[in-house]
Amino acid sequence: MQHPDEGTIHSWLDGALSADEATRVETHVKECPQCAVTVAEARGFIAASSRILTALDNAPRGVIPAATPKKRVDPLVWRVAATVLVVAAGTLVVARNRGSNEQPADRVMVSRQQASVAARVPAAGGPAAVAVDQAMPKAVVGNASTIALSGKTGTSDSRFGIPARENNALEKRGMMPAGQAAAASEIAGAAAPTASTFAPSHVAGVVVTDSASEPEPLKLVGTPWRIGAKVTLYEVAPGDTVTLTESMPLALEQVVTGISSTSTAMQATSKSAAVPLKARVDTAAITSAADSQRAASAPPSAPAVSAPAPKSLPGMANTLHTVTWTDAVTGNALTLTGRMPKARLQEIKIRIERERAAAAAKKTP
Amino acid sequence: MTDVERLFRTYNVALVRYLTRRLGDRDWAEEVAQETFVRALRQTSIQNERAWLFAVATNLVRDEARKDMRRRKHLALLAEEERDEIVEPEETTLERAQEAAMARKAVDGLAERDRLALLMREEGLDYNEIAEALQLSPGSVGTTLSRARRRLVESYEALQKSQEEREKNAAS
Repeated sequence: MQHPDEGTIHSWLDGALSADEATRVETHVKECPQCAVTVAEARGFIAASSRILTALDNAPRGVIPAATPKKRVDPLVWRVAATVLVVAAGTLVVARNRGSNEQPADRVMVSRQQASVAARVPAAGGPAAVAVDQAMPKAVVGNASTIALSGKTGTSDSRFGIPARENNALEKRGMMPAGQAAAASEIAGAAAPTASTFAPSHVAGVVVTDSASEPEPLKLVGTPWRIGAKVTLYEVAPGDTVTLTESMPLALEQVVTGISSTSTAMQATSKSAAVPLKARVDTAAITSAADSQRAASAPPSAPAVSAPAPKSLPGMANTLHTVTWTDAVTGNALTLTGRMPKARLQEIKIRIERERAAAAAKKTP
Repeated sequence: MTDVERLFRTYNVALVRYLTRRLGDRDWAEEVAQETFVRALRQTSIQNERAWLFAVATNLVRDEARKDMRRRKHLALLAEEERDEIVEPEETTLERAQEAAMARKAVDGLAERDRLALLMREEGLDYNEIAEALQLSPGSVGTTLSRARRRLVESYEALQKSQEEREKNAAS
């Protein structure tokens, strides 16, 4: 038999030959060492090619462009995007709220007296600090379009509305986000507006005058006459008035402190009685407002000292104080009433006595 | 069980593997296999089922390749990119990846008829089925297979040798 070709050997190994052909090839290979080598080599090729083709089974997927592979967005990207969105939305809300608060902050209304207090107290820390007007009410913050820090004894003409952007003479003592104005105003309206209270507060939008750092001279703003008494209204500071009542025939030697009477309240607010009291939202302010309104509705001839003293929270900012003494020259009873601490009233009393003495000296050279 | 279901259950695994080895892409292979079984639905009778299925699948690949050569090139590019991005299974070592790449290169280097005959034989088709599918004479299948096997192995060994030399050069 001739040597079988390589194709026949592969066919024999693949079992593709007929029985007769297979027997002949098998017999020859047993007797032919050369063909035996060829058969061994063919077995190797069959096994090797099969192994090589098996390596192709680890084929990738998704190569077909028919289904265009879409780039999947990493879930982390979605999370980051969601976080950014939430933060941005929150920032927008906060910014809008601030914006709505800052708008009225520019229109903060503050009496010059209070502004001077705010300016003076941190600087002085001395008697002026004691004289800080405790009656500063809380500002109305929030939806209110105007933050009004109204003067307690303030009259309609003593309440200055000072737009911050319209007065070049004003300087901003400190800016605070309008959203914090409420807290700052609460501090301002707190019971003890000491220097340490005011200094760090820097009420937002509060504007003060340059001249406010110096005490205003006593300014006579009115002398309404009452039966049996001479009433003098002094403006001790812009927007802050005190009432000096000189009882001609009477010689009262008494000092009333801490509690305001209806009559004195009326005196203190006689000019501002017709003006609606604004922005007195805290308890003390409401109490004071009611007190003032009661006083305003009382007849002007009400007894000076017989009226029952309304209960007032001691130390509250808008408490009415009264200092009574006897004039050394005339012997008349003098009653000084103001919505300010008693210590400041005492200071004003000294100034009034000094001015009265100077006036008397002019009259009697 | 319908005939198509029986055909699918009987031949799908081998047909997909054949096509995968042929095309180098599993999805494409499955798509062609499905199309092959869909075409089988239209046949009233098939004498040699396995030969017919492999022949139709082979022709589908061939016709598709003829229709859109650009698509094929694009697929090749995509395949290259995919190979870079594919996260190999844990059991797939670098050595196995290299073997697959060399196997693909060696198979692609074969003549089309040799390659198809070899792939069909690997799926168990006998010489008559291969001859029928590839329209060859039954006597030439042995020769075709022997040639394909020798060339495949020699090509693969040559690639393996050059790879070893590169590794040696890189090490030195």
